[in-house]
Amino acid sequence: MAVTVLIPAPLRRFTNEQASVQVEAGTVSEALAKLDAQFPGIRDRICEPDGRLRRFVSVFVNGRDVRSLEGLDTPLREGDEVGIIPAMAGGR
Amino acid sequence: MSSSLVVSQRYHRQELIPEIGREGQRRLREARVCIIGIGALGTHVADQLARAGAGFLRLVDRDVPELTNLQRQVLFDEADVESATPKAIAAARRLGAINHEVELEPVVDDVNPYNVERLISDVDVVIDGSDNFELRYLLNDASVKLGRPWIYGGVIATHGTTMTIIPGETPCLRCVFPEPPPPGAAPTCDTAGVLGPAVAVIGALQAVEAIKLLTGNRDARSRWLTSFDVWTHELVRIDLPARNPECPTCGLGRYEFLDRTLPTQTIQLCGRDAVQVVVHPRASLSFPALAERLSRSGEVSYNRYLMRFRAGAYELTIFPDGRAIVRGTTDPAEARSIYARYIGM
Repeated sequence: MAVTVLIPAPLRRFTNEQASVQVEAGTVSEALAKLDAQFPGIRDRICEPDGRLRRFVSVFVNGRDVRSLEGLDTPLREGDEVGIIPAMAGGR
Repeated sequence: MSSSLVVSQRYHRQELIPEIGREGQRRLREARVCIIGIGALGTHVADQLARAGAGFLRLVDRDVPELTNLQRQVLFDEADVESATPKAIAAARRLGAINHEVELEPVVDDVNPYNVERLISDVDVVIDGSDNFELRYLLNDASVKLGRPWIYGGVIATHGTTMTIIPGETPCLRCVFPEPPPPGAAPTCDTAGVLGPAVAVIGALQAVEAIKLLTGNRDARSRWLTSFDVWTHELVRIDLPARNPECPTCGLGRYEFLDRTLPTQTIQLCGRDAVQVVVHPRASLSFPALAERLSRSGEVSYNRYLMRFRAGAYELTIFPDGRAIVRGTTDPAEARSIYARYIGM
């Protein structure tokens, strides 16, 4: 299944500044693994060492938070968009 | 032309917007808003809400403007930096000159679990103008507990994120981001920089959300977590998830950030090359007496609001309640010992 992973600005230093990356994956977890194979280190910014989603990052499939779906096991279909949003600091 | 006519015409252009009208403007005139943090986002939102005719603005900030703030913090000028006028005071002065109809309450203080509920309990909307997650999660706890809507905003470099939280109706910050990032895990304006127009865009989005909530247009509120990059025009707009029944804050009613009891003394990093020291319970310092004591060890000056003390590589900004910002170090232990050496604890 070809899906698109949207890369947030703070993580683009891993992806040569690419804003989106196409990968073949059947679940969110697999998509992140494929992403990490292509751009080593990026997965650690999204997941804890034990594989769970980091608690200050939200991952969305077609605009829906995976925490309200099946988490990182959420299945993906052809053309799905996986979005990653880290909590944003700053403001002063 | 009578002065009342001038007043009534003042908001004419925004009253023409059908969603606001005379009735919306009347509601705005009665609205009370607390802005937590009068920095980049805070000054933008305060400027917009004062011009729009919000009835009451409480402006809370612990700090004084610095030269590096002027690039993005729109209510301050070089004279405010020179005179070390606290941000809350300087902003209130400027806003009062912009619109004398707005009641302004500057509060020069650190926001912490002891005072946050008092600061927001009597307002209709709370604006997040802070720059750190510790404070945002505290604000989230207090807002959910007291049922006060708050509008999150965060900006780094050229992009920012915003979200409107209405307790009981929308998910809260912890539903979307269950925990704050650990120190060092998220970039800050001090490390990644920040562009003024990026702040202006997110601040404007926060101000619009406040105006909607305060003019009876709650149904029109944003239902998204919105991120925008002003450099690339990339817009990411995510449907907010349903409220999480397992959310510690709004699902289970556990206010972990609010209930966190502070030690008698807290020390935290405070921007670049500075550490804040806060003592509990609050002290009541006499500046003339302290100045006399400190003048033997370094250069001292003070005004109504704060004292500046320079000794060697350190500069201390000391507030009447004992709080101090120690510049010249990022080491909490060093800041503590400097505080203990000169002010005592």
